[in-house]
Amino acid sequence: MNYSWLSDPFYQEYLWTGFVNTLWLVAVSATAGLALAVLTALARLRGPRPIAWLASAYVTVIRGTPLLVQLFFFYYGVGRLMEGVPGLRESWFWPIVREPFFFGALTFTLSVGAYSGEIFRGAMQSVPAGELEAGRAFGLSPWQILYRLWLPRAFQIGLPSLTGEMILLLKSVPLVSTIAVMDLLQAANIVRDETFLVYEPLLLITGIYLAIVILLTLVMRTVERSFPGVRATQGRWLPMRRL
Amino acid sequence: MTATNPTTDAAHQKIAITVDHLVKCFAEIEVLQDVSLAVPEGTVTSIIGSSGSGKSTLLRCLNLLERPDSGEVCIAGERFQFGNGQRIAHSDLERLRSRVTMVFQQFNLWPHLSALGNVIEAPRHVKRLGRRQARQLGEHYLEKVGMIDKRDTYPVALSGGQQQRVAIARALAMEPEILLFDEPTSALDPELVSEVLSVIRDLADEGRTMLLVTHEMHFAREVSDQVVYLDTGRIEVAGTPESVFNDPRCQKFASPTA
Repeated sequence: MNYSWLSDPFYQEYLWTGFVNTLWLVAVSATAGLALAVLTALARLRGPRPIAWLASAYVTVIRGTPLLVQLFFFYYGVGRLMEGVPGLRESWFWPIVREPFFFGALTFTLSVGAYSGEIFRGAMQSVPAGELEAGRAFGLSPWQILYRLWLPRAFQIGLPSLTGEMILLLKSVPLVSTIAVMDLLQAANIVRDETFLVYEPLLLITGIYLAIVILLTLVMRTVERSFPGVRATQGRWLPMRRL
Repeated sequence: MTATNPTTDAAHQKIAITVDHLVKCFAEIEVLQDVSLAVPEGTVTSIIGSSGSGKSTLLRCLNLLERPDSGEVCIAGERFQFGNGQRIAHSDLERLRSRVTMVFQQFNLWPHLSALGNVIEAPRHVKRLGRRQARQLGEHYLEKVGMIDKRDTYPVALSGGQQQRVAIARALAMEPEILLFDEPTSALDPELVSEVLSVIRDLADEGRTMLLVTHEMHFAREVSDQVVYLDTGRIEVAGTPESVFNDPRCQKFASPTA
């Protein structure tokens, strides 16, 4: 095993950039995607019929097509179309939306929105009806019932499955190396192309992915356990419902 | 508590609830068929009857968790008429439901809130009380049901009887004019029933207006001013506990347990 290239500052910088970009893609897509997931679940459960139908079509299309194809579709298709939109190239957000990173984040956000949206829908349906009925019986408004009772409980119920989705998201990120985003795999590819070492860079990034997943799992497990109401009394942190 | 005759009492006592020709259908089945009832202020009315007789539905029509199909309900100074296609505004519902609160068979506590959190949720967010005021109120009512020590405990760590006592404190904390109990002891292990019944008995002795759907015949007989025997959606017998429990129409239902 030859790891001498690791001391080269160029390769160090590639790997660091790849690491940071990978985490950023996960963070951005997870945040935006979960917000989208909540909206999708709500639309399917409570939306007026056209909205519910739209949400259902969105879920079907995103879950029914390969992620890599979606990525190409947005990057090569939508990305090229956008160049032709008048005024867009002069706008302040053009530097953001022309980047391949943006198309990666967009694709993953839509993917998380669809898959986690279904998880969230199931979780919302698993909240016992009596808890929501009690909310109505005490005069809470539909909106208060949603954000004070329904969503927190659904989040708690869905948490273990959502952790799994986040892990899948992390492991989808290497796909962006195909549209020239400098992620961990892209960094490893560069090392391979220049040093003709195949296994060493791959083994290194494999270890990094594994470390991130283990860390993520530990963090999520802590969140699960300290969720209010899981243990007899409130834990030290996550003061969501402190009085 | 001695049972008084509600018919003579009603003449000089304010009426808290009037139910007039109430009908409620689920699909094709008439669950309530022309039910009329008056509950004087400060009295306890028990609704008895076999499963499926419409007891719970009647109770749930009073705080409009179920919308009756026709008839009229006057409760806590609000008049609701049904069957005329009128929508009920959320502000009316909110006002009604902060004056008429309910204790459920399955407790229905919110598991992600502590005992105190459950009790002050509605005072904080429906009545918009300040944090400190709500907390004082919540602690007062937890004290009243003997649950102050469990103030910070989550429902997951409470026994059924304890959960139901917290649920009663939650219903009391809105300081309602009327309390509705929907089979409050039916989901409890036998040894936990008495702690809940004793809390309800104390409330009856305070002269609160209460409606109680129950299968506890001894208890109904003991605390009620009025007993209503419901059979397949109709009020079969109503009156003082003695008169109802001694009525032959009710006896075949009540005597095996009473």
